[in-house]
Amino acid sequence: MRPVGIVGAAMTKFGRSETALVDLAALASLGALRDADLGEVPVDAIVVANMGAARLNRQTALASALVDRLCLYPAAAETVENGPASGASAVKVGVQAIASGMADVVLVTGVEKMRAVSNLEATDFVASLSHPDVEYIYGVTLPSLAGLFARLYMERYGVERRHLAMIAVKNHANAMKNPFAHIHQPITIEGILTAPEAVVNNPPIASPLHLFDCCPVSDGAASLVLAAGEIAERLGRPFVRVAGIGQATDTHAVHERSDPVDLVAVRRASERAFSMAGLTPGDVDVAELHDAFTILELAESEAAGFFPPGEAGPAVERGETSLTGRLPINPSGGLKAKGHPVGATGVAQLVELVWQLRGEAGERQVRDGGIGFACNFGGFGNNVVATVLRREDR
Amino acid sequence: MTAEVCGARCTSCGTVSYPRHAVCPACRGESFEAVPIGGTGRVLTYTDVYALAIDYETRYLRLAIVEFEDGTRAIGHLLDPAPSLGKRVRTTIGVVREPGEERIRGLQFVPA
Repeated sequence: MRPVGIVGAAMTKFGRSETALVDLAALASLGALRDADLGEVPVDAIVVANMGAARLNRQTALASALVDRLCLYPAAAETVENGPASGASAVKVGVQAIASGMADVVLVTGVEKMRAVSNLEATDFVASLSHPDVEYIYGVTLPSLAGLFARLYMERYGVERRHLAMIAVKNHANAMKNPFAHIHQPITIEGILTAPEAVVNNPPIASPLHLFDCCPVSDGAASLVLAAGEIAERLGRPFVRVAGIGQATDTHAVHERSDPVDLVAVRRASERAFSMAGLTPGDVDVAELHDAFTILELAESEAAGFFPPGEAGPAVERGETSLTGRLPINPSGGLKAKGHPVGATGVAQLVELVWQLRGEAGERQVRDGGIGFACNFGGFGNNVVATVLRREDR
Repeated sequence: MTAEVCGARCTSCGTVSYPRHAVCPACRGESFEAVPIGGTGRVLTYTDVYALAIDYETRYLRLAIVEFEDGTRAIGHLLDPAPSLGKRVRTTIGVVREPGEERIRGLQFVPA
């Protein structure tokens, strides 16, 4: 397999955007192409990650539209829809194209405009990934699956609401240092949990989860330029290598898993990514996890192998996952505060890791390290892509 | 009488799947018979949903995953004013969603 490097990375500010869908994708793409500074090296293919444009924005065939907006013809172009894991799946498609020798340079852009519809409609759009016959008809939404998961997980492992609140506080604090984040709002444990007004500020969404356990509904785009290792070296600047990618699936209906709180697909995807990279969870310097709900950051950090089951809560409490901790998790602010434009999320996680590994993350820069890990969690854990990035030091 | 909510029993190995799959998850058999899902069981987990899905106008919706005595599990509406993990419940069938004029019936759980 040919080595693959990431030579360009960019994203738009997440939040509410008035920019048209394809223009939003073009903004991120042009940023990544500028960052890559390819010169005369052509882009062979573009891969667009998107989950809902057909329904949310009444537009299909986004990759064809983006290749046109960027005047990159005759580059190959295709769109990847893989639920909330579309972003990392699209990166995987790009990596495979280069690794196989079918392409030398691939532009991967994730984009989603969810604020084009009401919150109710956006929630229903995401809920359409649940099982239609045994979940959706009961009014199941993603927050409700997270609530069912959280209650059992918290009971079994002694996780308390304050542990989840600490994750929200940490990720909001990180997002304060991220100009691209959707939410710039510092919060405290008092304000969302212990003060009398917390009842009003932080109402229940799907018990035991409250408002500040849930990510916002966002618009945004993120983009990476991937290049074959020899091209990345020829460009002459430090780059980040895609060291490992792992993907795994699980049952569609959450209740059908032998243990509904065992994130088997996260564990298997992570094991595969680490195995491909020849690394272990202990080697990781910085991680971006898919905290669509605070409980997921906690549970994924255990399933990916960073903490034994039940140990992530105490680790968060000790500050081990903060910017200056042993393993900073979600320095970007995570989905919780950076935002979650679903198709863009998996790409944006890797954009953050590239910036962190290149030492370009500004105020939220973690201590110098060479290994990054991302978990892009599709469905409710039924389709997960894990990625390990490694800085090439030459 | 045909049950309103059915799982699929594999005619080769007897494993009951809910939801149905095209092949048996245990033996990869491809032949099934419909069997009713429900009976008595225990609440494995539950949630009170306040950010309601489209089609709902109640204040909140109480959802649960119940594990039945034969080991199968299902999500349904928990009609219990005092829910707790492990509590015994039994299944009834009722309206669980009303999109427009339609009335979709499904699993509801009440204290056993």
